[in-house]
Amino acid sequence: MTENIAEPDDMGPLRALGQAEPPGPGVLEAAREALWSAVAGEMLSADPDGGTGRARPARTDELPDDVQRRRADPGR
Amino acid sequence: METDGALIEQSVRGRADAFVEVVRRHEVAVHGFLARRAGQQAADDLLGEVWVRAFAARGGYDPGYAGARPWLYGIARNVLRAYWRSRPDPSTAAEEAVDPWDDVVDRLDSAAQARELTSALRALPAPERDVLLLVAWEQLSPAEVAAVLGVPQGTVRSRLHRARAALRPVLASSREN
Repeated sequence: MTENIAEPDDMGPLRALGQAEPPGPGVLEAAREALWSAVAGEMLSADPDGGTGRARPARTDELPDDVQRRRADPGR
Repeated sequence: METDGALIEQSVRGRADAFVEVVRRHEVAVHGFLARRAGQQAADDLLGEVWVRAFAARGGYDPGYAGARPWLYGIARNVLRAYWRSRPDPSTAAEEAVDPWDDVVDRLDSAAQARELTSALRALPAPERDVLLLVAWEQLSPAEVAAVLGVPQGTVRSRLHRARAALRPVLASSREN
């Protein structure tokens, strides 16, 4: 048996209580602006690896020059 | 037309802007959800917070659910609870404090019939009222209500059954008048 969840006759007065005014001009746009900030933030901070989320392994040949120099010639 | 689930999945996989299309589809409904419970001004203020939270949480969305509205209502509900908790109210320690039904009643029609109905709603336990209003105001199915509240469908059906039974005399007299 299918339960009649929202019998219109039953719920009518209740629905009438829940009437809400539509949002005023600019409200939806302002809320979307907040979202766009979050979207832009994420897009700007996206990994250069294409968003795979994989961390690149550390490579010793990418050490700063002064560190490489010291390692090559520790006596300096 | 792509489903909400497909757009959210795209937004997780690098096309973050696809999420904005989901928002466009549901923004009036979510604003109404907030306004019915917290008033127009609070709805205006909180809507952006709902989108930001939803965007941050989209990684947990199951794209198997084609429509995102129940999920968004669930997030809007959490935003409302945080809003109510943040208000200076001495009773904020109590769980009931995040269900400020008196505020809702204040905004409703003050006609005698509406007063009777709002009194009956006020007398309902908050979980039953939540379910009833998601069905009556947001016109959700029990499955969708279950998704909003994070409870089993059976729980939704039993809460709805109890709420309707409690309100039946008032609703019946509304019909007769």
